[in-house]
Amino acid sequence: MLVKLKVNGELRQADVPPETTLLKMLREDLGLTGAKLGCDVGDCGTCTVIVDGDSLNSCLMLAAKANGREITTIEGLATSADLHPLQKSFEELGALQCGFCGPGMLMSAKNLLDKNPEPSVHEIKDALSGNLCRCTGYTKIIEAIQDAGRELSGAAAGN
Amino acid sequence: MVTTVKDVKTGAEALTTDKELTAPAVKPVTLPSENPVVYPLTLPEPAARTQTPAVGQRASRPDGRLHGLGQTKYIDDLTFPHMIHAKILRSAHPHARIISVDTSEAEAMPGVFATLTGKEIPVNSFGPTLQDQPVLAGDIVRHRGDGVAAVAAVTEQIAADALEKIKVEYEPLPAVFDPVEALKDEIKVHAPNSNIYASKVIRKGDVDKALAESDHVFHREFRTQFVEHVPLEPHSSVAMWDGNGRVTIYSSLGRITLGREDLSRTLRIPQNRVRLIGTIVGGNFGGKNEITNEPILALLSKKTGRPVKCTYTRGDEFVSSTIRHPFIMDYTTGVNNEGKILARKIRLVLDGGAYCSWTGTTIGKGSILAPGPYNIDNLLVEAYAVYTNKTTTGAMRGFGAPQVCFAYESQMDDIAVALGIDPLEIRLRNAFSENSFSPTSQVLQSVAIKESLLQASDRFGWKE
Amino acid sequence: MKRRGKGIGCMWYPIGFTVMANPSAATVKVNTDGTATLLTGTVETGQGALTVLGQIAAEALGISTDDVHVVSGDTDTTPMDTGAIASRTTYVTGNAIVRAAEAARELLFEAAAPLLGVKADQLEARDKRIQVLGFPSKSLPISEVALHAETNVGRPAIGSASYNPPTVPMDPETGQGKPFNTYVYATQIAEVEVDDETGEVEILRIVAVHDCGTPINPMLVEGQIQGGISMGVGFALQEEILFKDGVQVNPNLTNYIMPTSLDMPELEVELVDNYDPTGPFGAKGAGEPTAVPTAAAIMNAIYDAVGVRITSLPATAEKVMMAILEKREQEAKSA
Ligand code: FES
Ligand code: FES
Repeated sequence: MLVKLKVNGELRQADVPPETTLLKMLREDLGLTGAKLGCDVGDCGTCTVIVDGDSLNSCLMLAAKANGREITTIEGLATSADLHPLQKSFEELGALQCGFCGPGMLMSAKNLLDKNPEPSVHEIKDALSGNLCRCTGYTKIIEAIQDAGRELSGAAAGN
Repeated sequence: MVTTVKDVKTGAEALTTDKELTAPAVKPVTLPSENPVVYPLTLPEPAARTQTPAVGQRASRPDGRLHGLGQTKYIDDLTFPHMIHAKILRSAHPHARIISVDTSEAEAMPGVFATLTGKEIPVNSFGPTLQDQPVLAGDIVRHRGDGVAAVAAVTEQIAADALEKIKVEYEPLPAVFDPVEALKDEIKVHAPNSNIYASKVIRKGDVDKALAESDHVFHREFRTQFVEHVPLEPHSSVAMWDGNGRVTIYSSLGRITLGREDLSRTLRIPQNRVRLIGTIVGGNFGGKNEITNEPILALLSKKTGRPVKCTYTRGDEFVSSTIRHPFIMDYTTGVNNEGKILARKIRLVLDGGAYCSWTGTTIGKGSILAPGPYNIDNLLVEAYAVYTNKTTTGAMRGFGAPQVCFAYESQMDDIAVALGIDPLEIRLRNAFSENSFSPTSQVLQSVAIKESLLQASDRFGWKE
Repeated sequence: MKRRGKGIGCMWYPIGFTVMANPSAATVKVNTDGTATLLTGTVETGQGALTVLGQIAAEALGISTDDVHVVSGDTDTTPMDTGAIASRTTYVTGNAIVRAAEAARELLFEAAAPLLGVKADQLEARDKRIQVLGFPSKSLPISEVALHAETNVGRPAIGSASYNPPTVPMDPETGQGKPFNTYVYATQIAEVEVDDETGEVEILRIVAVHDCGTPINPMLVEGQIQGGISMGVGFALQEEILFKDGVQVNPNLTNYIMPTSLDMPELEVELVDNYDPTGPFGAKGAGEPTAVPTAAAIMNAIYDAVGVRITSLPATAEKVMMAILEKREQEAKSA
């Protein structure tokens, strides 16, 4: 079945079997391997992408359901002018180790900051509760999100 | 040849559909600076990376930027032209004799390229200490995670469907699951060998005499559980056998030098014909320290002339890769009225699961560390590892240390409470200092246990 | 009612394999512009090994972290390495790298000595220069020296070396011996809140003070400790693969519960000031030990809070509640 969607600002399409998940279509048909497969059943969050402004597990969404929608993946976070503040703060603080949870973490974090630029630690923990990380204990990830939030709201306030 | 026609047909079909339906991307009309990019930009180098001296700097990781961009390539992110996918059938029994494996129906399925059974592995055994583990089961399966046969097909889905067409005839054997039962050797996991496949003794002073002379003797049994490493990245490999008989394998393995030795041995080809490449492991914690599916993929690639990939499902990861050893720990400790440890007698039983794996290191470290970071003149540690018909236990962050630490530190507090001594104080009274003798009578240097106790209690506000 | 308690767990942990040889080899090549390439057979497994190893090579050559490019993880091109296991990378591979870099540096010293009018053993590599010990104003940029060594002297600055920690076999009867060359030490203190009506344990805070010798990269060591603690928290309270007749009951992340962001308490991480002369620039290691004392500290904190000794892990709410009920029953009996 032909699925057409907008990914990171570009129109893309692929013909996929009906049981194909959005994650599989992104990784195998569109060559966007940033989102990862960690469990395939919605438990780990490594496949998190943003669909029409909401983060979700792309392993749980059929590609067909994503038809006509707007998807942002980790590959769409940086612009040619700059890294996203989250990408900067994650790098500076060494927030990721093996990095496998990273693309999903960052998309959940972006989704949070888009809606709430100055989240409390508890709000951050809540927003990440579906993104498992085995390496970091989440500490530096939370700090990096706070840093990025401060930078984003600072920029918004014109500082 | 029928297979060739079938292969070409399925392969070609997949290729043409792919091509025709992926339309060229429509370029968005946006300002360049807002244009999402996949490739990195010219960005400043973080200061800590450009300074000398280099040691002590909070230098950011060069791969950190790639992690953030989603550009770090893990094995499952790699694809190669004409690549096919493998799946492995797991045992239906915890302990059984394999009477027959019939893969003919699976092999006849459209989209299936090849199958593989244990009999086709040139040297069907591996393991870091004892080579007691088959790559794919031979005559006997010893736990539910044992691989029995493998299939390579054009898609993962077809390979998974083909597994269901493989007919395996088993003769179930009595199984043993409880490590204490297994110690009795009534049911043997590796008959005719004993289930006790590793043991360790550490003896110092006269433990019985010192226990008899102690003011107080404490005794307790502690137990720990099976734990999975849960690397977020499941095991993954791609193997490519080339025309010169050389095989290149991309693998999520954390130890490529020894992995190459294992591959050379199991495939019976010289080491210089094996190239093993790791990119970055998406979480290891001890669970990716030995070969798993690599020889299987190499042989399937040799059979099909195509790159073959296998990425474990989360379920495979739990049942077929190694997990942490549960310990049964019996601690008897004699102390004087001041809380000074005079003697400690420890018995450890490690549930080894079906194969040895990294038990040698686990029992070694577990035994040596079991008395704790304390000066104890009279010691006896006896440790045994036993086979059971359960998932293989192997290396996991700490090799037995978290298990014994739970026991020795819990008992330390038992003693402190009974004697009315503060837990910090009783540790300081017994802890190693520079030039203390370890349980194996090694002179210890650069010892910092008391420093860490004092610094941590200060930071915590222990005395408040 | 929610009751608070605090508990200590301390530990010791060795670096490298038990007696068994576990060598690493390394090659360091200094380029003619003063940058360098390090070849190592280890694989990055997330802990930041390649960053730390690059810093060690840079330190030995007197250049910056960014001046070193690390090539790893390919059996065709990189030298043997026992691998990312047993908390050995910083110490064992690091020691091999120091020796390889020193061999390359020696060639630089020999090339620079006549230019600086001194003997090779009077030189040091520092701040991207080869300079005279005790008289740093006499120096040459490392790039110039490297170029000179390669194009004029004809001896490019390349060094290879290996390292294996020295051990003494353990006596089979008594276990006496020297199984490791060095050990690290640590203390973690946990504060918990236990609900004595449900048995639920909430960890409020963990203070962790670890010895790793010299921290080559303090930021990465902190990351190791924080991650290790999260594994310790799972081991203590949540994680368990259950079996029924040899079959795993919960082989998935829906029913096998590991710590999420919501389960992690506030972590306060510090390092002990320590230096091990046998390690690369005084370093030992940090990987595994970070996960060792956490469960012990938490169990002792539970005891402090509600007076029950948990003897089997994990301390699930049911298990803690059972222990509390048992204790109450016993107290009622003896009263
Ligand atoms: S892969 Fe989608 S949640 Fe795990
Ligand atoms: S960094 Fe490894 S799982 Fe998060």
